Amino acid sequence: MNYAALVVPDFSLHAVRRSDASLAGRPLGIVAGEGRTAVVRAVSPEATGVEPGLAVTLAMARCPALVLRPRDPTAETEAGCMVIAAALTLSPRVEHTGAGWCTVDLQGADEARTLVTLRLRLGDLAAVGIPVRAGIAGTPLLAALAARSTETVCLVRAPAEFLRPLPLAWAEPTAAHAEILAGWGVRTLGDLTALPKGEVGQRLGPTGAALWERAAGETTRPLKLVEPKKSFAAAWAYDPPVESLEPLLFLLRRYAERVALELRAAGFVAEKLALTLLLEDETDHRREFRLPEPGADVDGWQRILHAHLETLKTAARVVGVRLVATPARPPEKQDGLFETGLRDPAVFWESLARVGALVGDDRVGTPVVAATHRADAFVLTKPAEAVPEPESAPVHAARGLVLRRFRPAWPVHVHCDGARPVEIVGGQIGGDVCAASGPWRSEGEWWTAAAWAVELWQVELAAGGLYQLARTADGWCVEGVFD
Amino acid sequence: MARGDYVELHARSAFSFLRGGSLPETLAAEAGRRELPAVALCDRDGVYGAVRLHMAGKEAGVRALVGSELTMEDGSVVPVLVASQAGYRRLCGLLTTAHLRAAKGEGRVAWSELAEDNAGLIALTGDEAGPVRRAWRAHGARAAGEGGEKLRRIFGRDRLFVEVQRHHVAGEEAENEFLADWAGAHGLPLLATNGVLHATPSARAVLDVFTCLREHTTLDGAGRRLAINGERHLKTGAAMAELFCDLPEAVANTARLAERLEFTLANLGYRFPDYAVPAGETQDTFAHKMAYFGAQQRYGSVTGDVRRQLDRELALIAKLGFSGYFLIVWDLCTFARERGILVQGRGSAANSVVCYALGITAVDPIASKLLFERFLSEGRSDWPDIDLDLPSGDARESVIQEVYRRYGKLGAAMTANVISFRGKSTMREVSKVLGLPDDVLDRFSSLFHGGDYPHTLALKEQLKLAGITADHPRLEALVATCQQVHGLPRHLGQHSGGMVLSAGNLSQYVPLENARMPGRSVLQWDKSDCEDMGIIKVDLLGLGMMAAMQETLEICAARGQPVDLARLPKDDPATFEMIRAADTVGVFQIESRAQMATLPRMKPVTFYDLAIEVAIIRPGPIQGDAVNPYLKRRTGEEPVTYLDERARPILERTLGVVLFQEQILRIAMELGGFSAAEADELRRAIGFTRSQERLNRSKAKLGAALAKNGVTPAASEYILKSLASFALYGFPESHAISFALIAYASAWLKVHRSAAFYAALLNCQPMGFYSSASLVQDARRRGVKTLPPCVLASDERCRVDADDTIRLGLGSVKGVRAAAVQSILAARRERPFASMADFLRRTVCSAAERRALSGAGALNTLSAHRRAALWAVEAVNSGDDLFRHAPAADADTESPLAAMTLGERLQADYEHLEITVGAHPMRLLRAQLPGVTPAEKLGELASGLRVQIAGAVITRQRPGTAKGVCFITLEDETGHANAIVRPGLFESARLIINLEPALLIAGRLQNERGVIHVLAETITALPVGGLPAQASHDYH
Repeated sequence: MNYAALVVPDFSLHAVRRSDASLAGRPLGIVAGEGRTAVVRAVSPEATGVEPGLAVTLAMARCPALVLRPRDPTAETEAGCMVIAAALTLSPRVEHTGAGWCTVDLQGADEARTLVTLRLRLGDLAAVGIPVRAGIAGTPLLAALAARSTETVCLVRAPAEFLRPLPLAWAEPTAAHAEILAGWGVRTLGDLTALPKGEVGQRLGPTGAALWERAAGETTRPLKLVEPKKSFAAAWAYDPPVESLEPLLFLLRRYAERVALELRAAGFVAEKLALTLLLEDETDHRREFRLPEPGADVDGWQRILHAHLETLKTAARVVGVRLVATPARPPEKQDGLFETGLRDPAVFWESLARVGALVGDDRVGTPVVAATHRADAFVLTKPAEAVPEPESAPVHAARGLVLRRFRPAWPVHVHCDGARPVEIVGGQIGGDVCAASGPWRSEGEWWTAAAWAVELWQVELAAGGLYQLARTADGWCVEGVFD
Repeated sequence: MARGDYVELHARSAFSFLRGGSLPETLAAEAGRRELPAVALCDRDGVYGAVRLHMAGKEAGVRALVGSELTMEDGSVVPVLVASQAGYRRLCGLLTTAHLRAAKGEGRVAWSELAEDNAGLIALTGDEAGPVRRAWRAHGARAAGEGGEKLRRIFGRDRLFVEVQRHHVAGEEAENEFLADWAGAHGLPLLATNGVLHATPSARAVLDVFTCLREHTTLDGAGRRLAINGERHLKTGAAMAELFCDLPEAVANTARLAERLEFTLANLGYRFPDYAVPAGETQDTFAHKMAYFGAQQRYGSVTGDVRRQLDRELALIAKLGFSGYFLIVWDLCTFARERGILVQGRGSAANSVVCYALGITAVDPIASKLLFERFLSEGRSDWPDIDLDLPSGDARESVIQEVYRRYGKLGAAMTANVISFRGKSTMREVSKVLGLPDDVLDRFSSLFHGGDYPHTLALKEQLKLAGITADHPRLEALVATCQQVHGLPRHLGQHSGGMVLSAGNLSQYVPLENARMPGRSVLQWDKSDCEDMGIIKVDLLGLGMMAAMQETLEICAARGQPVDLARLPKDDPATFEMIRAADTVGVFQIESRAQMATLPRMKPVTFYDLAIEVAIIRPGPIQGDAVNPYLKRRTGEEPVTYLDERARPILERTLGVVLFQEQILRIAMELGGFSAAEADELRRAIGFTRSQERLNRSKAKLGAALAKNGVTPAASEYILKSLASFALYGFPESHAISFALIAYASAWLKVHRSAAFYAALLNCQPMGFYSSASLVQDARRRGVKTLPPCVLASDERCRVDADDTIRLGLGSVKGVRAAAVQSILAARRERPFASMADFLRRTVCSAAERRALSGAGALNTLSAHRRAALWAVEAVNSGDDLFRHAPAADADTESPLAAMTLGERLQADYEHLEITVGAHPMRLLRAQLPGVTPAEKLGELASGLRVQIAGAVITRQRPGTAKGVCFITLEDETGHANAIVRPGLFESARLIINLEPALLIAGRLQNERGVIHVLAETITALPVGGLPAQASHDYH
């Protein structure tokens, strides 16, 4: 009993399912590929008639209630961490072999005690929606095959008999080899090992010979052990839940320091921080902070987190916190000779975070004229850290008077002669129009519910003053005055 | 403002391909409504829409002026208007030169070419893409002046107009002020245009969608590339006068300029080339001589009837000036025959004894009592239409290339085929532009096949099934835009065989472009445009069946069993017996499910019955309710009556039922008193699918004429209904007879030269209604065995080994290159392969090709079985360099692999050949389907019995005439079983029906008069458990 393999069949499916409560009991399929090549990769038992590999359209034809989802890397990471954590209870020497697949080095472990622990862990994982199967054998490969072959735990004591009926695909032949072997009628590992190894090697080359060895269970390999410090995350729970900022910030700093230290020790800095507050009402609050400059300066992190948290009001008490630092290599940057940058980017971003916390993140940024015909439309973009070079002068200089916009515009009633405005009646402005220029028409987004159409007039009032009038579906308004 | 004071001189239509939002017909109608006296169509880089505008303009009372926007080498776009015929020719020449030297859609005009010769052309400075405003926007006034100056130098002051446009866009006045100043400074006239891009404001949405398609973006991402408003539509003269009230001369100049534009397409000046007659002969005398010579050959001796008809036709042909045309077509037929290429005229040409005598057609119109006026009449203003059927593929291409060789690249071209936005393509394109996800589009495509009958469900219901619910925020926009876009041109393709010839350069009359196919050029008009313009077209159509028949004849001749198609007995009992039994898989025209369902009722016994059979299963007769009355009268179930006793001679042969176009024309002439010219107009109205209005006018005229001549209202109604039905699709009698000739010949070959016929059919795939797999199964049922490919015995193509045996060619093995096959054949010619090692040593196949040959069983004669061959060839296929050059002798060592089972062989057959020469896949499933009735047993059961049928789906059809009913044909190891699926069941099982390769259908059996169907009640997927899926003929 040298190795154990913990394998979650249809791992992507289970990972998605446990991340979304609404999927419970519903037929679920995980989709691979796009467009016409999309097929169902994994499928839940509720999806009757649907098999893995079926085209998406055909799958929907056979099971109209089928819910299709793509793989969810986040959910898989989370579920994968659970499997690794479980594996680490068996032995400190754990390899994260693949998605939903760990290999554990059990050399020297007591078999009976290990089996008991293993069954306990499988129960724990099943309870949280991760059905794990385990195989125990003399090599990592055999252990993995054993895990795939069972619904619970499989202990391999006679490798040759065990391997013989297993499908050839489990030995992972290359696509080319799989095709050739299918032509040969080789379907199981036993079919392959029944052929002379040398002859197979002559025909399929060294990779074919290696495949034969895998099929015979002759392959072993050293494990690539999990290095916990590579995951720069911290998560903790509060018992009792916290209501005030201080205990939150206190522990946050402790953990942030540890994460920063681990990052630095591994030669990394953080480029993003992800903070999750788990709330007592089973909701959570998530926020990701892209750092102004990748770094491992805890004071800087703390300022950003503090700025966000001090204005945050949650609907329920915080029961847990998770902080994840995304590692990156330290930046190597040389300022341009003529580049104008922020003097202290950290302070700038900290200030911006404070403003965002006050007015809402979606209302902070650099306004940029939107690519639309709609006058005065803009979008907010992330502010540039360096001041961009001024654009070259326009071909045609602006003509005429400058419009000073009223924000918001003044609603008015307008009397017209035909289409032409002749009198304005309104609370803030009114009078006869002595000259009018227009209409200037623009319209857009006809394909959405927000379709708009504007007709502009530039008018001179008899009493003096040049104004811009706009007529929309909502009526007339004075948009501004020409200075 | 009075009508005529403003003319729109700068309009683009949807024939600017994604740069205009309305059809020319819509522009003409709208211009008529807005009382514009004329419109100039300036489509981008072509005159694609000019004919349509010209024809629609005549209807709407709007003069269609000709122009084009020329994309210049620097990317600017210069609109030019045609003032004279010389100008038109120059425009066509410029466009042709630009298009022929560039890839499709990339043609650019060089400034030097425009400067070189522009007589008869008048230029405008253009819109925002023009050389002046484009430069003004990008670089300012100075650059704009330079752009204008370039135009002024080329066109001078009298042929250049400075174009001003007002679209209610803020800031546009700055540009107009510059243009007015610049025009004034250079003494150039201003010209107001609206730069029309769509007929009405609502079509602006189409333009936005097209902009996105052109720019490969979505509406959400297109930003300022979309139109700012919907002002670029046709406006009345009054509206334009008000818009340019400060520049009245700009509006007045439009009428002045329009007066100078004397050219319209009415004076195109096209002339068909003369035939190069021998010295001392004229076109007419030589045609006369050749026709009489041919008649002598055809009839043995020219009888009085033949002479009278020949003289009548020849006199009319000479009078109309068509002799050269007949000689040229005759010459092409001669060219083909001299090279052993089958050729046969189809369509109304078969009504002419001259065509028969010249060998253009194969039907004797005198014996068949065909109406010459259907083909040619004195009143006809257009050219007669002669369509030639040729074997598809290289043979037809050789004839096409011969036409190019004789008339030059600029003297001949293919007619265009306008590819329009159709149901599924419209939905796909518009959805993409609206940003809907791909999976919705894929699901929609799977649900609604291209040829699927579209009207059972409203578009919104279809979309709901595809995943777009009623409350989807973009549903309304999607539906409305799809409706607007549907039917608009997407791009220009080439017609399948329509060739146009001209005396001199064809490019004087219409611009030519490169076709996607190398060695071919295509003109900018489609066949209807050509017909409208009196441009003569010869259709060189490729028929798969002609190719198959040609190959059958060659195989027969090579085997010492030659067949002369001209001398086939017309009443061969075995042939008719097979036809009556609907055993017609592979037979031309009568192999479809619908034809097969009619044959047992029709029970053809004569050749003319076959012509009726060919013609009767068409949308025209079906919608005209002609099918059942005819069949019932034929079987005596209902009496033969005539709508009017005067129609008896016309309808006698079709038992009082109108089945052919000629009959309608004859009725119009005999009962309605129509002249030949009026009958010809009626013919054109029937054939002209673009205008329902035109057909309605003809119907009204005929209705009035029939009433006037005492035809009863009921009879008149029947005639008019038949007329409307033929507008959908109906065969002329001559065409039906021409097709029946091929149908009969192919049936005869199937009966009497079965092996050669099946071999040829397999070699000519894809063609016809059935896949190779179905053909092989049909051959097996008819006692013809198909052998697998074999490196020792096979040729490249399928060949006949014995009267009951064919052998697949090595070329039928998927993934084996022609060069590899040739290397095998060359090595075998030297000496046969002695062993596998010998084969591997002397051939140059790739590893994949060796595997394919082994898997297909082509190496079985050199090894114990397929797997042994696979084992052997892999010995020299090693990916390891150490083993790569291992002696091929290793290939002859014994294989440790077991032979394939029956199921494995079947799978390998489909994988490598797409067919199996062994048992049908259903045979392997039969034991698992105890309650399922084999197809061949259905005929033994009584109607009304509940049965289950199962098999591979080989056809799915929902013809428009079937009111939403779907027909499915399943193939099992015993034959074909047909199911009828009612609309309700079809909608509930739409995806299953459309996507599953094999079905299990339960329902009530209908077994009446030899026609067997299962009226489906439940449809489920047949679990085939890894068995191969067959190709299916769907919704064609």
